[in-house]
Amino acid sequence: MDLLKIENITKRYSGHTALDNVSLSIPEGSIYGLLGPNGAGKTTLLRIINRIIMPDAGRVLLDGKEITADDVCHIGYMPEERGLYKKMKLGEQAVFFARIKGLSHKEATQKAKMWFEKFGIEDWWNKKVGDLSKGMAQKVQFIVNVLHEPKLLIFDEPFSGFDPINANLLKEEILALRDKGATIIFSTHNMSSVEEVCDHITLIDKSRNILSGNVEKIRHSHGTNIFEISYRGDGQKLTDTVAGQCTVMEMATSSIGINKAKIHIANDSDVRNVIAALNENVELRSFSEVIPTMNDIFIRAVECNV
Amino acid sequence: MKNKIGIIIGREFKERVHKKSFILTTLLTPILMMVLMFAPMLISEYSDESTKSIAVVDDSGIIAQHLINSGEIVFEQTPLPLEIARTEYDDYYAILHIGRDVVSNPTDAYLYTNGTAAMGTEHNISSQLTMAVQKEKMKIYNVEQQVMHELNTRVVPQSLKNVAEHEDAGGSSTMVASVLAYVLSFILYMFLILYGVMVMQSVIEEKNNRVLEVLVSTVRPFDMMMGKILGVASVALLQITIWIIFIAGMACFVLPHILPDNVLAAMELLKQGVPASAVDAGGNMGLLQGILMLSNIKYIGSIIIWLLLFVFGGFLLYAAMFAAVGSAVDSPQDAQQLQTPIMLPIILALFVMLTVINDPTSDVAFWFSMIPLTSPIVMMARIPYEIPMWEVCLSAALLYATFFIVVWGAGKIYRVGILMHGKKPTLKDLLRWMRYK
Repeated sequence: MDLLKIENITKRYSGHTALDNVSLSIPEGSIYGLLGPNGAGKTTLLRIINRIIMPDAGRVLLDGKEITADDVCHIGYMPEERGLYKKMKLGEQAVFFARIKGLSHKEATQKAKMWFEKFGIEDWWNKKVGDLSKGMAQKVQFIVNVLHEPKLLIFDEPFSGFDPINANLLKEEILALRDKGATIIFSTHNMSSVEEVCDHITLIDKSRNILSGNVEKIRHSHGTNIFEISYRGDGQKLTDTVAGQCTVMEMATSSIGINKAKIHIANDSDVRNVIAALNENVELRSFSEVIPTMNDIFIRAVECNV
Repeated sequence: MKNKIGIIIGREFKERVHKKSFILTTLLTPILMMVLMFAPMLISEYSDESTKSIAVVDDSGIIAQHLINSGEIVFEQTPLPLEIARTEYDDYYAILHIGRDVVSNPTDAYLYTNGTAAMGTEHNISSQLTMAVQKEKMKIYNVEQQVMHELNTRVVPQSLKNVAEHEDAGGSSTMVASVLAYVLSFILYMFLILYGVMVMQSVIEEKNNRVLEVLVSTVRPFDMMMGKILGVASVALLQITIWIIFIAGMACFVLPHILPDNVLAAMELLKQGVPASAVDAGGNMGLLQGILMLSNIKYIGSIIIWLLLFVFGGFLLYAAMFAAVGSAVDSPQDAQQLQTPIMLPIILALFVMLTVINDPTSDVAFWFSMIPLTSPIVMMARIPYEIPMWEVCLSAALLYATFFIVVWGAGKIYRVGILMHGKKPTLKDLLRWMRYK
């Protein structure tokens, strides 16, 4: 079931097209990564979903119906450049935003207190943003964003500015929110976080959606028939064995006697035959496919899109 | 939606009222005003009593005898000739040389000061010499002193309001009205600029820290703008109300202690129903009339009500424009150019106000108090003169009607402006944004 569907969105600014006929659908209860190089149009897309700006063409459907201003109250949006009042006490700030999003004063206070405790920042309640570092302020921003328990959460570059410990905390909270049933969209350049957190991604480059889908599926479909093997035995023997079926790309020997090689199996060859042949001539310790990282896929896709 | 405006107004109000600067200006301004009002009085009362000695070289031989020593000035006649006296008395405040022909030639008198000359002292000497010369002239023409005294009269008409029924026990003091006109229009001027710019800066701040982006998705831009304007307006009204209460309190408790006795006695008589024309407050008749005017609840009450209405209306009008400018720029520096067209009518109104005080019923006064951009300031300068009620009502109605038009336009600019970053817009851009769908 798709919670959010984006259909043929186009947005033009004077002089350039920020989004060109972009469509994607975001399954309910998933974490959806929006990837793309700087200036690709990610933030524009997030703003359109939030109705901050209107698209020139196309529509955004929430639960199958076109999104309305009231729906947006149920979205938690965290812009990349943080949106907090500098001179307002953090606690009051969290309560203020929660009330704007429709919570009662009492409810908002209660929930804000709970989240402050959860993040171990109860004693920040009376502090002001000006007194905090960027990363600390971001924690508060996160709380403001999730306080009203939105079913759709949108983060623009959530991990920028966080140290590894807090980035981890944030990751865990995002996963926990997903497990509670929230749908989460975030944009990022941080590819390792994509592999760890995202279920689905869309890669936007030059205003277009160039790659969309389930993270695991994408990675496997980008497999290039390259395998990594480790073995005991003579490297030359290995080369001879696979000649004709494979090309050896890399060879490495190690002092403890376990050698490594990277081979590319020709598309018409059967992997099983290769393994069988190898098994006879060297002592095979491991044999695994090299699945490209999201980072590789990202770079390759963007380069191919020139 | 209404509720959301309420939350925004509440936030603006709370944040501003808790600021130290607000508390300080609210408390200090009336005190400062009081100090400014009473300082000259106190200074003259307690100013240094050191006497100034003046050596007098009287070549005429008849004038020096008329000079009277006061606490401030002591005259000491010297027989020395001028040249020697000037070196001899160089530790005196001054040497006064009265020429031989001073009676026939009033310019034949000279004051050689050893330090800087004080205006008050020179004035004192000048009037003493004048009197002395007058007396000598009277002797020459054989005029009796009594006759001179009788001739010396000064007529000050008591201005009274020409109303049918005499419910208006008090007089109307043009002096008090003009002081009120000054004070009221300056209050307007101050509030329009100070609080207007405050709205603009707070919009710029919200735009820069991206709060607007978080809000804009849930609150309509128009509601956001109105919430801010009304929030700041409520702070302004609170401040004015505190000042009014403060000044009223001062007037009730402090004034009775500093007024001259004959004025107090006269007020007592008036309270007992003695007609104003029968009351004598000596030379303080003007003061008495002023006090009566200010203690006339009907008069002061209507001024306060109109003040609040015009401050509120004028502020809304200007704040909407300031908000639009704030929404369009990224920094207060960029706002300079765009806010000039907003400042101009305010400054123009201030200049018009100065002429209005001299003639509150002139055509200039009438028209500028009707044109909505200048009307708050100019009208507040006219109201103390008790101009016809319909003019005030019409002016207020026009002001509020214009506010609705301006706020509509400003809302359109605001909606586009808050999401524009980077380039510095021109006035033309703002007008173009208004036409966006």
